[in-house]
Amino acid sequence: MAAVKQTRLELFWQETLGDYVTAVDWSANGQLLAATSAVGELIVWSASSRQPVLQFQAESQQSMDGLAFSADGQFVAAGGQSGTVYIWQMQPAQGTFQPVAALEYPRVWIDRLQWHPQQNELAFSLGRYAQVWDAITQDVVTTLHFEHSSVLDLDWHPKGTYLAVGGQGGVKAWSRDDWDAEPEVRELAAASVAITWSADGQYLASGNLDRTLIVWEWSNPYPWQMQGFPGKVRQLAWSDLTTKSGAPLLTSISGEAIVLWEKAEDEQLGWTAKVLDLHQDVVQAIGFQPNSLLFASASTDGKLGLWQNAKAVQILEDAPKGSCLRWHPQGKMLAMGGQNGELVVWTTATPGQGFGR
Amino acid sequence: MVAAEQKEIVPITVLTGYLGAGKTTLLNRILTHEHGKKVAVIVNEFGEVGIDNQLVVDADEEIFEMNNGCICCTVRGDLIRIIGNLMRRRDKFDHLVIETTGLADPAPVIQTFFVDEDMQSQTALDAVVTVVDAKHIWQHWEADEAQEQIAFADVILLNKTDLVEPEELDELERRIRSMNVMAKIYRTQDAQVEMNAILGVNAFDLNRALTIDPEFLNETAHEHDETVYSIALVEKGELDLEKLNIWISDLLRNQGPDIFRMKGILNIAGDDSRYVFQGVHMLFSGINDRPWKPGEERKNELVFIGRNLDEASLRESFRACLL
Repeated sequence: MAAVKQTRLELFWQETLGDYVTAVDWSANGQLLAATSAVGELIVWSASSRQPVLQFQAESQQSMDGLAFSADGQFVAAGGQSGTVYIWQMQPAQGTFQPVAALEYPRVWIDRLQWHPQQNELAFSLGRYAQVWDAITQDVVTTLHFEHSSVLDLDWHPKGTYLAVGGQGGVKAWSRDDWDAEPEVRELAAASVAITWSADGQYLASGNLDRTLIVWEWSNPYPWQMQGFPGKVRQLAWSDLTTKSGAPLLTSISGEAIVLWEKAEDEQLGWTAKVLDLHQDVVQAIGFQPNSLLFASASTDGKLGLWQNAKAVQILEDAPKGSCLRWHPQGKMLAMGGQNGELVVWTTATPGQGFGR
Repeated sequence: MVAAEQKEIVPITVLTGYLGAGKTTLLNRILTHEHGKKVAVIVNEFGEVGIDNQLVVDADEEIFEMNNGCICCTVRGDLIRIIGNLMRRRDKFDHLVIETTGLADPAPVIQTFFVDEDMQSQTALDAVVTVVDAKHIWQHWEADEAQEQIAFADVILLNKTDLVEPEELDELERRIRSMNVMAKIYRTQDAQVEMNAILGVNAFDLNRALTIDPEFLNETAHEHDETVYSIALVEKGELDLEKLNIWISDLLRNQGPDIFRMKGILNIAGDDSRYVFQGVHMLFSGINDRPWKPGEERKNELVFIGRNLDEASLRESFRACLL
């Protein structure tokens, strides 16, 4: 039997926050790890020293829910229940962060927040609006009216050309070249709660409240519709790598179920589904390792699954009740947040490495 | 194990009533009163709770259609999002109160807790509490919203009783009783009411016995002087389960939009336990309750609150399900 070099997770580091970890994120170079919690904490650690370089707690102790590093790692932003979006800037000489702005929108719970994939422009949800803010000019670039409902999710196109916003009635994508132009609309009969572009920007997937998953090829208004989920489709993830069909893999989570979607080589067949059984409670987070077809899943039952080729290649039975996870940008580590304030970081090890063949 | 799981279920009180009826006064009482409960409150965009509290959260009424525009499948999308966020700190509160705007239809709020999977697993609807302005209700009497808020209620506060004469109050209570025979009615000034009358009511708990006002049953002819009214059916005898199922599904399909609330206790042939059920529009849930007690009269009691309901034909079609 040929030896397969199988990636495995090894425990590297653990931290504890004051309550439910709402989000985790890595800086682009993987040197910094940040986490936010439901008591308003934002903590940034140096991944090498495992020491905090920024510790912030909102005075109100209100939940911090959105968290993201800018593409160049210069800025980190967080927002939440208080309606304030906080932005800090890295001071490279000191290795510390300085606050640069606190955008205040009282009475709005800001729970979606994402930086442009190349520029220092931050998009965040603002009730029925999405706003884009420029960290260099420190000015609002645009305020986009979603209209049909509050913004339930948002995602920048990987090339940064569009900002897609999901909510009741589907997805609207505004062009960054002309924010004032009418958005491109992809209508749905339901509320879109999770939207994700594929890494090449060719596909846009929407997980919906009515237990459906819709995938558009962006150049084609006629989507694929996937049904039969046990509940709302909470989160989606695309692999960076593509399969033989030329399309990446897509995973969806709904209730206890993970479904892995692979586009068939025969265009007529659409997407084939594989249901992956492991979790016995709601799966909360899922994510592909960068430049890989391996992905991780975290669930309320305290199991963490590592999957490849539709098989569980590693199961951690005693992980915390999961809330969120994020791979290191080079795939070297996996960080996971827990429902009781746990933050766990694993390194990825490939057995046999360093011992030749 | 069971206790641990139950602890995670957060009871929900839905507070309805016209602008100015006294909802905010009641909310401030709930937030300041020493009742041993940590209460989180979701207020509407017009709400002006005067208390700075991190457990007071704003919501903007957003109606989501779940299924091709059927009114029975509308939910409040904003509540799903906000409560989902709040539940991450469920250790910080043990009761949640949702204030609706004066013009809100209570149905989507109630349906949210039966339709959405997270709301179903993490929360339990405790009661719909409606505050009625005893003086000014007459100005809104014809409005659908005013009638629906009364129709959906488990608890009704007839507030501002100091501003009206006792006879007027009696007349108002009589009218409200004819609309909603199931609700508990309290007369209040400045929304002063015992907290355990509005929090921890368990009105949607199927194990809580149905109580129909005996006076309502004793009136021989009900005059439905409102467009919304209550109908009670009380029949002796055993029901044929198959016929009953067909009857219920027909009823919900054809008259679901007109039935706001329904509750009942049934005696099904071949079953030694009472069957209890409740419904909101087309949503229906029922369970086998405790066994009938020896010597207890095995009868069927049903209450409907709705509009355009024909009492005679309802009674006749229900009787056809008896053995």
